[in-house]
Amino acid sequence: MKRIFYIIITLSIIIFVTKACIKQDIPQPEITVLRPKTQITDVEYPADQKNVSISGSDYLQSQAPVGSFGGTLVASTIGEGPKTFNPFNSKDNISSLMSDIMYDGLLTTHPLTGQPIPKLAKSFEIENHTDYIIHLRKGINWSDGKPITADDVVFTWKDIIFGGYGNTSIRDSVIIDGELPRVYKIDNYTVKFVTPKPFAPFVSLLSAPIAPKHVFEPAVKKGRAYFDTFLSTNSDPKIFVTSGAFRLQEYVPAQRVVFARNPNYYMINTQNKKLPYLNKLVYLIVGDVNNEVLKFEGGELDVIGLQGANVARFKELEKHSDFTVYNIGPDTGTMYLAMNLNTRRNDEGKFYVDPIKQIWFQDKNFRTAVDYAIDRKNMVLNIANGLAQPLFTAESLNSIFLNKNLPTYQRDLYKSKELLKKSGFYWDKSGKLFDKFGHRVEFNLVTNAGNTEREAIGVMVKQDLEDLGMKVNFKPIEFNSLVNKLVSTLDWDMVIMGFTGSPLEPNGGKNVWLSDGTLHVFNMRLEKDMNSKRFDFENRIDYLFTQGALETDFHERKKFYDEYQEIVYNEKPMIYIYSPLRIYAIRNKFKNVFPTSLGGITYNLEEIFISKGGN
Amino acid sequence: MEILKYILKRILQTIPLLIIVSLISFFIIRLSPVDPLAELKLNPSVSKETLQRETERLGLDKPIIVQYGKWAKAFLRGDLGITSNGEQVSAKLKERIPNTLLLTVIVIFLSWSVGVPLGVIAAVNWKSPLDRILTVLTSIGMAIPSFFLAVLLLILAVKTGWFPVGGLTSSNFMDMSFSQKVIDVTRHLILPVTVLFTLSLAGLQRQMRANLLDVLDSDYVKFARAKGVGEFSVIYKHALRNAVNPMITLLGFEFAGLLSGAALTEYVFQYPGLGRLILEAVLKSDINLVMASLMMGAIMLVVGNLIADILLIITDPRIRQKNGGQA
Repeated sequence: MKRIFYIIITLSIIIFVTKACIKQDIPQPEITVLRPKTQITDVEYPADQKNVSISGSDYLQSQAPVGSFGGTLVASTIGEGPKTFNPFNSKDNISSLMSDIMYDGLLTTHPLTGQPIPKLAKSFEIENHTDYIIHLRKGINWSDGKPITADDVVFTWKDIIFGGYGNTSIRDSVIIDGELPRVYKIDNYTVKFVTPKPFAPFVSLLSAPIAPKHVFEPAVKKGRAYFDTFLSTNSDPKIFVTSGAFRLQEYVPAQRVVFARNPNYYMINTQNKKLPYLNKLVYLIVGDVNNEVLKFEGGELDVIGLQGANVARFKELEKHSDFTVYNIGPDTGTMYLAMNLNTRRNDEGKFYVDPIKQIWFQDKNFRTAVDYAIDRKNMVLNIANGLAQPLFTAESLNSIFLNKNLPTYQRDLYKSKELLKKSGFYWDKSGKLFDKFGHRVEFNLVTNAGNTEREAIGVMVKQDLEDLGMKVNFKPIEFNSLVNKLVSTLDWDMVIMGFTGSPLEPNGGKNVWLSDGTLHVFNMRLEKDMNSKRFDFENRIDYLFTQGALETDFHERKKFYDEYQEIVYNEKPMIYIYSPLRIYAIRNKFKNVFPTSLGGITYNLEEIFISKGGN
Repeated sequence: MEILKYILKRILQTIPLLIIVSLISFFIIRLSPVDPLAELKLNPSVSKETLQRETERLGLDKPIIVQYGKWAKAFLRGDLGITSNGEQVSAKLKERIPNTLLLTVIVIFLSWSVGVPLGVIAAVNWKSPLDRILTVLTSIGMAIPSFFLAVLLLILAVKTGWFPVGGLTSSNFMDMSFSQKVIDVTRHLILPVTVLFTLSLAGLQRQMRANLLDVLDSDYVKFARAKGVGEFSVIYKHALRNAVNPMITLLGFEFAGLLSGAALTEYVFQYPGLGRLILEAVLKSDINLVMASLMMGAIMLVVGNLIADILLIITDPRIRQKNGGQA
């Protein structure tokens, strides 16, 4: 009797447990994908900021609606948090973000047009394509009350940046033919930069932060090793002297960075009151995306960047919650598929790429066929939840240098097959593809394991190419091994990778596009191969990038970069896939939020305020 | 005197152990295919010169054995080196150690002060309904994976708003009065402590119960009872003393767990402890940081065992006798 009882109990538990599983197997009703509109709508941008002089001080006047003072904005960063607060030492995005909040540069970029506009400087002029004359604001001060003058600017550029202190990436990128630009103090409020040759990217480098001389000079005098540890994360927040809207108040490792309002900030509102409105700005340091989402839902965060499935859920929640979801357009990163165009041999005399495959990859028809076989739209829908835009150009979709004349196209298997036939490829009865010498078309496709997005793209590319009868061996491999393959051993056939890009400065991609660049992935030249033969299109891109950097007029300059994008579009050394959209949610209590594709959502921290009367 | 000699012997024994541990861990980390510079290499805006400088700074251009030699020499001088971001490893550890200690000490204190008595009660009331209930509860506690319980509690925190979602302090912590600060930290600690407490309580209670049952079944306890010694005295004076020995060994291991232990729970709760720091360091192959933490773990384990052994000598006359006999 007792035994029967136990059996019944056990069985019923098993049934209950399996019931839950059974339910999962029944197809769920189709979830409607909520796709936010692709452009930012119903945002009315205020007029551009103006320079206003009040009793001898040149302020920057915000034209945004006047708000109320006080309050805190809590944002977040994913990862380990900042590694330094020294703007000249930062090598990672989070550290740069933190120092950008505290230290303003002479210039900044217009959030809508992307053109350089004055920030810490009052105005600037470019003469003879090489002379940059910067007029500084009179009567504005550092957060400790000392005036900001030409000495600070000259010191920053001459001693810190050109002196090679800290992270030398700015210095590395302004060396023109082995020569550094020169910087002169004209008077207390005027500085002149002279580049040895016309060099267009220089103007965007003028957004580099300016350091207070009276704080940084002693550190510079103590030498490079000391400078590397100067203003590290262990420094006392009190020693920070800043020009930006906020200064450091507290850093709690692995938890948060707290910034307090800089009372001496040089921006005012239309009632001539000093900005920023917010009293405090907090960045929580969170370990991963999931925790970030939980914190936003728990009310601990005010603004969040959203991805994938969360977007649909937040869009649903938005109706009865206190936040708004903004879609600020495509990301600046580019995801691509590249074939190895290398024809050289390694030290042991072996080809990096199997000569049989070389013939295919060198064939423009083959590359174009691959491009037309790829179903970008399908990937956008299935991998990015519809939250992405197909990409066909080397510059990202929000780049101000984007060549808008290059048409987009759909998947076209018929065209692919025609192109392959033209190059002598043929199919056997079972649909397998062979080249004109009778070799079966089979190659490896790699990407980095662990990146689920790229792995998913890899699977879909494999399927798409198998429709052409190719045999694709898709292998996600560990990130470090992949990088090693791409930049050192060069023994790969086809790869799916992504690069970060800048929407403002195409010259940042020169390491990828110059034929001797350090990341010229599709035809990487190691030290010993530097003088090897170039493709015609490589030579042309080399020319375009070199000339493009020398031209300072935007429209003239754009012609060079338009042509390079067209060449890449036609030659297809890299086949671009899609750009994810950037989606943000921010609480409704924050006003003066004017998201732009270039600036993001909180670029105008000085102007953002918390409305007192709720919504 | 005998004890001192014994301790000295034990300390000398640990030296080769630590050397072997350090060698194995250093080589395994360095031979793993993780390249600390991979991210930089794939960033289009990083120049060749920067990469070269970074390689030299991290000493990656030298053979592994040389790297190990350099590390070991610095370690002996008490210099833990710098992390791959150029921060002092010792400063980094110092930031985190108090947080981890706060969490683990509370958990150990709670679980021992609750787990051991519960084990005794269960053993004394063997096969009673109370014992059965405790058995069921502790089985559940042992069966739930820590990260899963942590995630469940996090969902509870989000849905109810009773607890903060992870972290150790609120963002306005600096402006609080002392009592508010204490309350704030307590609120943040409740969930992670609950997770770790549930797990270690279950184990401890089972262990204590089994030990005491074993002892209660032995001949000398039966003899004491037959002699007519009072039940209270039998259990608390005779049985418990003998049952507690394995627990002391366990305490030694708990000591080692003070500074490592709870990486998973820390990660889920975004607790700013050592576990999270080390996890991130391993993923980035930040060798100095990983080595420092591994060595710390090894030393703590050795010290923990030593403490347990000393405590055993004090509590158990048999061991005292044996040691004395050898010497």
